[in-house]
Amino acid sequence: MKQKKSSAVIIIVICIYLLVPLLLTFLYSVFQQWNDILPSGFTTQYYQQLFTDTRFLTALARTVLISILPILVCTVIVLLAMYVVVVYLPGLDKIMQILCMIPYAIQGVILAVSILSLYADAPEPFSDRLFMLTAAYCVMILPYMYQSVKNNLSAVNAPCLLETAQILGAGKLHAFFRIIVPNILPGIVISMMLSVSMVFGDFVIVNTIGGSYFETAQMYLYKTLFTSGQLSSALIVVLFLTTLLISAGVFSLKNRNKSSER
Amino acid sequence: MSYIQFQNIHKSFGSNEVLKDITLSVERGQLVTLLGPSGCGKSTLLRCLAGLEEVTSGKIFLDGENITNKSPKERKIGMVFQQYSLFPNLSVYENIAFGLKMKKVPKEEIEQRVKEMVEMVDLGGKEREYPGQLSGGQQQRVALARSIATEPRVLLLDEPLSAIDAKLRKELQKRIREINKTLGITTVFVTHDQDEAMILSDIIHLFHDGRIEQSGKPTELYTAPKTKFAASFIGSYNILSGADFGKIIGQERNAKKSFAIRPETFAVSLSPLSHNENSYQFEATVDSHILHGNVLRYTLCANEVAFHVDVLFRSFQLFENGQKLYLTIEKKNCLEVSTL
Repeated sequence: MKQKKSSAVIIIVICIYLLVPLLLTFLYSVFQQWNDILPSGFTTQYYQQLFTDTRFLTALARTVLISILPILVCTVIVLLAMYVVVVYLPGLDKIMQILCMIPYAIQGVILAVSILSLYADAPEPFSDRLFMLTAAYCVMILPYMYQSVKNNLSAVNAPCLLETAQILGAGKLHAFFRIIVPNILPGIVISMMLSVSMVFGDFVIVNTIGGSYFETAQMYLYKTLFTSGQLSSALIVVLFLTTLLISAGVFSLKNRNKSSER
Repeated sequence: MSYIQFQNIHKSFGSNEVLKDITLSVERGQLVTLLGPSGCGKSTLLRCLAGLEEVTSGKIFLDGENITNKSPKERKIGMVFQQYSLFPNLSVYENIAFGLKMKKVPKEEIEQRVKEMVEMVDLGGKEREYPGQLSGGQQQRVALARSIATEPRVLLLDEPLSAIDAKLRKELQKRIREINKTLGITTVFVTHDQDEAMILSDIIHLFHDGRIEQSGKPTELYTAPKTKFAASFIGSYNILSGADFGKIIGQERNAKKSFAIRPETFAVSLSPLSHNENSYQFEATVDSHILHGNVLRYTLCANEVAFHVDVLFRSFQLFENGQKLYLTIEKKNCLEVSTL
């Protein structure tokens, strides 16, 4: 009982520590002045300003798109590659591991500059900023997605489950996506959420590749910081809620599978 | 032609030859055990029959059909693995129904069949539970039900009871035998446990180093091992060199030969017994003893040669260490075995 209480206290302290900056940012964004102990002049004008600015809405939409698209693409690529490795070519696993670990060693700025110098003059769609950003983020999150899928495949003993499904009359593809993938889904979801937060928080790659051609919410925020403190606070709150929504969306994938968990 | 026939099967993994010219047959409805120590090739042969491994050379026939190059799906075989291999995201019902769904059996028929299977393995009321909520024994019963639900042509059991505690293992051994008899399903069982093989099998094929060392009914293998390996693997034979055996019985024997004697075949007495020309009689002293349930295993010494003797633990009377005993062993129970 005593241990339970102390655990609760620790959790509450951590929550306060994490939530206080967010709460203060929110308060700062809904008041006009904060010269005394308490703020004064309640207003929603900064939020109205943000949501009536088409430049911001476009930037936010782009941010959401490049936070989701690369993760979906990377997940599909890694799953298909792992299907081939597990089912047909187990010997390729070592090569796959080396390939997937290379991005760990590449700095974001090097990755972005390399992609830009290589593809900027290439024909469409390669020179398209959205395409370049999607590809760059796919490379960036590849190690996390691969390692998560690999660990989860090992944990469920995928080869044995596949053999069992085949003996029971299932095709290899059906067995992999009907039996193996649902069992490793919780692990995939965790790595997807990690990837979402990484991509959403990135500024180096998006700023280098996107530049003025492809303004995202992060770049919009950077510019707003020099104009109005309240406006940038409102923007931070909006971005936080957007990340929360995306994370909730990804997490619902896991919950969809929850009924069939133990 | 036998129901299952392996003809000159060779299987290599790289330079490692795991199966060396295996030829064996299984009759319809039999429960046959592939017995042997780890790494002897028994599981590999089972996997070749299931279609999970390709043979390097040789042919496999099932009910007269050459299935050597067929996929696992086409072979219509059921298999139970040591590690259960239940699908964790599917309930007991869905696990058992999986094979039937793959065969596109109508829903009503699936329901009926799953119900029968659940009853057969005594898991009524557990249909909605998930594998993680079941004990090891229950999980293995689900695996068994799942594998027979599709009415396979052969049931393969790859050390299915190895991860289960002794009490449950006995219960499942009984269940497997019942299923084999009730459904008449031809069953190939792989184990390294000779007791399990003795209890379950119609025929045992003893494997050693990728070859069949000896085949036969359990009693044949137990009472008449042909090689030193068979004698050492089956039961608790005393394996004695010709010289040592000669020392025990007080007669000269060819030193190059080996003799296998079951410890329970010795007759023990505190006084000399009357002479019989069909048996050897000699004296020995008690060195030590161990209690094996209802059997006392003595280590005796005769002319500096140690050997084991099993005596049924009928009373609390024990032979003391150093006590002199008179032993009789019938000549027919001293088996000359090949040293190969």
